[in-house]
Amino acid sequence: MNFFKRAWLNLTAKKGRSILLILVTSAIMLFVLAGLLIRNAADTATSNAKKSVGATVTLSANREAAFKKMHSSTSTSKSSRPKLTTSPVKLSDAKKIAKLSNVASYNATVSTSANAKGFDAISTSTSSNTGGGMKGGMGASSSGSGDIAIAGVTSTSSVTSFESKSSKIMKGRGITASDEGTNNVVIESELAKEDSLNVGDTIKMKATTGTKKTYTLKIVGVYKASSSTSTEQGPGATDPSNSVYTSYTFANAIKGSKYKNTADSVTFTISDPAKVSKVKTAGNQLISTSKYSLSTDDSSYQTVKASMNNVKSFADKIVWLVAIAGTIILALIVILMIRERRYEIGVLLSLGESRWKIVAQFFAEMVMVLVVSVVLAGFGGKFVGNQLGQQLVLQQTTTATTSSSSGTTGQPGGSGAPGGSTGSKPSGNMQGGPGSSHTGSVAASQKQTDLDINVTVMDLVELGGFGLAIMFLSIMLASGGILRLQPKKVLID
Amino acid sequence: MLKVNDLGYWYDRQENSLFEHVTLNFEAGTSYAIVGQSGSGKTTFLSLLAGLDKPRAGQIEMNGESINKIGLTNYRKSHVAIVFQSYNLLTYMSPLNNLMTAMAITDSAHRGDKRYAMEMLRKLGLSDEQMTKNVQRLSGGQQQRVAIARTMVCDAKLVVADEPTGNLDEENTRDVIELFQKIAHEQHKCVIIVTHEPDVAATCDHAYRLAQHKFSLEA
Repeated sequence: MNFFKRAWLNLTAKKGRSILLILVTSAIMLFVLAGLLIRNAADTATSNAKKSVGATVTLSANREAAFKKMHSSTSTSKSSRPKLTTSPVKLSDAKKIAKLSNVASYNATVSTSANAKGFDAISTSTSSNTGGGMKGGMGASSSGSGDIAIAGVTSTSSVTSFESKSSKIMKGRGITASDEGTNNVVIESELAKEDSLNVGDTIKMKATTGTKKTYTLKIVGVYKASSSTSTEQGPGATDPSNSVYTSYTFANAIKGSKYKNTADSVTFTISDPAKVSKVKTAGNQLISTSKYSLSTDDSSYQTVKASMNNVKSFADKIVWLVAIAGTIILALIVILMIRERRYEIGVLLSLGESRWKIVAQFFAEMVMVLVVSVVLAGFGGKFVGNQLGQQLVLQQTTTATTSSSSGTTGQPGGSGAPGGSTGSKPSGNMQGGPGSSHTGSVAASQKQTDLDINVTVMDLVELGGFGLAIMFLSIMLASGGILRLQPKKVLID
Repeated sequence: MLKVNDLGYWYDRQENSLFEHVTLNFEAGTSYAIVGQSGSGKTTFLSLLAGLDKPRAGQIEMNGESINKIGLTNYRKSHVAIVFQSYNLLTYMSPLNNLMTAMAITDSAHRGDKRYAMEMLRKLGLSDEQMTKNVQRLSGGQQQRVAIARTMVCDAKLVVADEPTGNLDEENTRDVIELFQKIAHEQHKCVIIVTHEPDVAATCDHAYRLAQHKFSLEA
């Protein structure tokens, strides 16, 4: 009969002790598994975030350089007040950057405004001029722009407010690349409701600049912007419901013929957020940096990454703390067990059994206990992991939201055109509108930080490995008693 | 077979030695009794013969080889079987498993032979039912029989017993003594029994008395 069979006989003969050992070990394994599951889920969430949250690089006019130029001309000519002159982004430059590796797609954004003709823009008035309230039309009249804010885009699906679901297509469809050169438009649901407009209807808008031509647009979709976005408008902004999306070509046409094949900004979506700076460096070599600048925005990814790193770090601490505490607890239990079984050890030694085989018997017993405990922990691990993981994520997301929102509240908006671009820097005449990039990224991070906790065979194998290490260390710590034990002292003295 | 040369043992100081300069020979097929008063050191002497402790002076030879050279663990495994007053069985096992364990550890020629172990237990008066239930459910006499059966299934040529009848009634004492004589004479083993009971000592072929740190052969 080898030590394995002795171990088995001992465990089955002393059922009460074995059950207690299994319960203690299961509790230790349960927390180790919960830690491992959270850590693995955080890893998966981070890598998923890499794929889905993405990061962006925005090509826009170099306002810093433009301001410098303006200031230098101020000092040279004192006769007239110089104007800030920014160059619109050439689409040819954007296409060069789009060809770089790691650039998944791009979205050109052109913001302008026009006056509604044959339908009424929504006007807003508030009794207070503090906070986020605004007066529709007031901003337009004071700045000389129209009452309908037009956001020309390549595709609405690439607009952050749509990506983050703060804006949703309710009827019809959004603007796509195939709308280039058309007068198709997506309007806000409140505007549609007030003017009894629907998909398929046509509306007219009159340009406020250039030829002041009147354009007929076909409604291809109706979107709904989340009400919270209106609070982010600043003074002078038109009502968010007056924001419409068209193809960037139409927005350029409204602005005038000199804006053909240009954009206020172009946002490139990067397939691997880790490569953002690489793309930026490569992109800077393709453009005139005195006129244009490339800015990066991987805040969504960084938010998710930071949040997941915190969760992962905490999970790591759980694993190690439980492993160390478990080793100490089990070592103490084994030490007590060895003291209790000195007589048995003495008998085995008197029969000529080697000490390492006695240690091996204790180890085999603990491994048998471990196998049952791992199975039990496997059943409970998912539940504990889910509870603990969601609590951690909630804590992390709350922290992220608090820190992000503190940086966005109270920012003044523009004259009412929909922003929605993922670009972090506004272009020359970029106007605020529904959906801010920062809000979008936080919403995205909240979505991405949901932990998908599942117990896989690999998790159980990893847990078994941890368990074996804990058992081995416990037995090694406790085996001093066996190695020092003199059979004469136990059996005769 | 077993030779004790100039053996001495003490705990703290040599002046307080239990015994010194002990030289004795023990032969196979013979039973020996070691008698003496309590505290005289006879159990300590037995523990040295059993390889459970090391002597402070002198040496013990098994078939001409020092047991220190053999190694105490190997010596206990291959050359000696021990019976204790308190039986010293593995309490979480049945009598049968106790024998199987001993056979496995000592590399007995009958290792793994369950039928042989059962036969031995039957010979010592245990029923088939008794040999498969936990040893703690047996009487003291039955447990001592299991301990003796354990020495019989091992191939050790030396059997040492420390007060093997100390916890037994008269009838069981008689049976156990008879068994030891059979082991010595029928299995041709050397049996050394430490006892304080004159009746037990009288059944052995030779008896040594340990008194005033010296061994003397009893008439």
